[in-house]
Amino acid sequence: MVLLGVELGAILQVVGAIAGVVVNLLPGDPGAAAVSSLQESLKGIPTLVSRDFIPNQGYWDGSQWVGTFLGLSPAAAWAVRVTVVYAYAFAVLGWLWNGYNRYRRYYRRVDWTPRDDVVNRFRGHTWGQFGLIITITFVVMAVFAPALGPTTMEENILQPYDYEVSYWDDESQSVQTVLVGEANLGSGSQGAGDENVAPMTYDDFGRFHPFGTATNGKDLFTQVVFGARISLTIATVAMGIAGIIGLSLAMLTAYYKGLADLAIVLASDSIQALPVIMVLILMLVIFQNTWVRELYDGAVLIILIFSLVYWPFIWRSIRGPAFQVSEQDWIDAAKSFGQTPGQVMRKHMAPYVFSYMLIYASLSLGGIIISVAGLSYLGLGITAPTPEWGRLIADGQQYVASPSWHISLLPGVLITLVVTGLNAFGDGIRDAIDPQADTGDEAAATGGGA
Amino acid sequence: MSTTSTEEEKTSHESGETLLEVNDLKTYYEDGGLLSSNPVKAVDGVSFSIERGETLGLVGESGCGKSTLGRTLMRLEEATAGEVKLDGTDITTLSGADLKQFRNDVQMVFQDPDSSLNERMTVGEIIREPLDVHDWKTPKERRQRVRELLETVGLQEEHYYRYPHQFSGGQRQRIGIARALALEPEFIILDEPVSALDVSVQAKILNLLEDLQNEFGLTYLFIAHDLAVVKHICDRVAVMYLGNIMEIGPADEMFESPANPYTHALLSSIPEPNPTAERDRITLRGTPPSPRDPPAGCPFSTRCPVKIRPEQYRTLDDDLWERIEVFREVLRERSRAEPSLSDRVRDLLGRETHQAGMDETLTELFGGLDVPADVMDHLREAADYAENDDEDAARTYLREEFGSICDRERPDQLGVGDRGRLSLCHRHDEEYEEPATVFETLVQ
Repeated sequence: MVLLGVELGAILQVVGAIAGVVVNLLPGDPGAAAVSSLQESLKGIPTLVSRDFIPNQGYWDGSQWVGTFLGLSPAAAWAVRVTVVYAYAFAVLGWLWNGYNRYRRYYRRVDWTPRDDVVNRFRGHTWGQFGLIITITFVVMAVFAPALGPTTMEENILQPYDYEVSYWDDESQSVQTVLVGEANLGSGSQGAGDENVAPMTYDDFGRFHPFGTATNGKDLFTQVVFGARISLTIATVAMGIAGIIGLSLAMLTAYYKGLADLAIVLASDSIQALPVIMVLILMLVIFQNTWVRELYDGAVLIILIFSLVYWPFIWRSIRGPAFQVSEQDWIDAAKSFGQTPGQVMRKHMAPYVFSYMLIYASLSLGGIIISVAGLSYLGLGITAPTPEWGRLIADGQQYVASPSWHISLLPGVLITLVVTGLNAFGDGIRDAIDPQADTGDEAAATGGGA
Repeated sequence: MSTTSTEEEKTSHESGETLLEVNDLKTYYEDGGLLSSNPVKAVDGVSFSIERGETLGLVGESGCGKSTLGRTLMRLEEATAGEVKLDGTDITTLSGADLKQFRNDVQMVFQDPDSSLNERMTVGEIIREPLDVHDWKTPKERRQRVRELLETVGLQEEHYYRYPHQFSGGQRQRIGIARALALEPEFIILDEPVSALDVSVQAKILNLLEDLQNEFGLTYLFIAHDLAVVKHICDRVAVMYLGNIMEIGPADEMFESPANPYTHALLSSIPEPNPTAERDRITLRGTPPSPRDPPAGCPFSTRCPVKIRPEQYRTLDDDLWERIEVFREVLRERSRAEPSLSDRVRDLLGRETHQAGMDETLTELFGGLDVPADVMDHLREAADYAENDDEDAARTYLREEFGSICDRERPDQLGVGDRGRLSLCHRHDEEYEEPATVFETLVQ
């Protein structure tokens, strides 16, 4: 409860934010005012890992740091906050894991379930655990994005001319104030020696940049963490929708077979015959100036396209296992005492197929992340100013061989790392669920998603 | 054990009330593709009835349609024609609430205990599921009932929270039986319930099934291919071949003196534990015909060792007659085989296909035998037809010449003995010799 308590405010704020998103999606913005007032009131609750509790944005007044956590330097304060965030996240996960083990050992009425074996096998799978840790790190980055950045989206990227920053001016030996936008102009990374803010350095305005700055002087790390958020959202939501469609269709085709199967084979083959990136580009161009394109900076459209393009893949992957399960006698047994088709699919078929779907979904998540980055790199996809890893790479492309190499390289390395991690995680799940399965080819195929 | 079964036989037969009545039931599988509609005739006109409290055994080699019959009675397959009456209601047309009620009364125990239990559910959940589906009383009472059922089938209450993985084959089959008993059915279809188990476990499960029958007054349809098991547990036995019931009647009588030629052959295949005993095994020639294309007359006519011969060939040498039957079988196989693509190309080019060479076949079959000239002429004639890729004409020709009532007419189920035994064979007709007599002469 302590763990939950310190984050209560944050959790409630997330609820508020989700309500905001939902309200935004509805045309005509009903209740937008109510939601924003709710969001305001929730901000009042202090939380452990918030910027307010461990602030890192301060200035040097000539003798000491003002406004930072315990008077530490902004870099140190930021480091403390990042450490606290990750410590908190892993503490929560550890607590849950511990709880699961306790439940398993002391409270569960069943002393063994088939799932225990899966968990035990995953425990011995180092490569999968490496993937899991990378995945968790990535998810935490996305979830705690506002607390992880050295500055905020609002202040540094979206509305830089509405905020001021105080700094110690060496020439006048006094504390000066400047608009964030103007400060950004003076601290861009453009390749030349004096026009570059490298990773882990301060700019001229006393602001700390863990990943340096982008070409326009905006903080790169802040953009990266928010980029993680949008990548993860697109990938998981699209995969979720595709998974639900694929799973339901797999159940229907395996249960009814025959014509239903044939129809869906034809539909999925037609969709799979389309070149994914081509369809994405065309659709994004077609919907260029429509309201769909505006939702969540284009992410909603991308999610829809991806789920439409990816469900045949999921369905194809789990169709075999679904057919296999549908031949089992327990399906006949269930029919023989009058179980309804829906319940047969849900209780007797889906659990056997779901794990396979999880494998394929986790392996394809990486493919989607790459595709989204690819689209943004091409100038499609997520619209500016919302940060996206692909666009960051495109922005920094011409400075790769200059002192400003970090703009392209760091997001690129992160994409590689995350996709590798997701694939490793998928491998781990696969080996844990079905030690005999050999789906290595599929994994290689998804890597080339973009 | 056998004493209990006979006692129970007496008690159960006192009621004499028909529980299940099957009339001319047909189950065809239509999967011949888009062009040809030549269905697999898995069950091809079957009629029988089961009395309340009795055990009817259903035996036959694999692929004879016995499992399909069981599944059709269970409404897991749709009947193509005919009716199945349970307590007077035709169940082949039930739907909705009536069908659900029927599912209450009839349950099934499956062959493979590995595949018939969902491994992701606990034993308790598995046995409870039928109760949940039928909204049986309150959830608490359902749990109580499951515990009782576990005891009934010889498991322990603690097994409620175990998974099927943690049990042996015999124990799993007990779970399957408990699930079938959950809704207190009247009629249970046992689809080879012990054939996947060790012999030592088989006996235990069979005893359990007998005890349950006595306790709850159950009626069983016991599908099996193990004749010894059937002899042990069944009151009456039905022998199936190629979708037909060849013989049906009281078990003891049938095992003592089989009437139908097929039953003869089947029973002679039971291994004799005494190695010194004199045995006359009847080995059947060939394989059963395709159920897509069953013989026009008696289903067993293609393999029957005591087939009725036409008048003019009665005196023909047995060996020669055998060869003629083999020749007909060869032609049947040839017409069944789809010509391959290269065969068709060769055919178009006017080359000899590898299917040709009827002369060789004739020499091989009849070479060492003394064949009367008229018989040889007929065989040559048929071979010529076949040579020109007209197997059907060849078969028709041979059927006209060498065929008898067995090839032409489907026999009726004729009564044998005085205990209601029925057998599907022309030989029970008065004008022919009984199969048993002919077997005697064959064996000499």
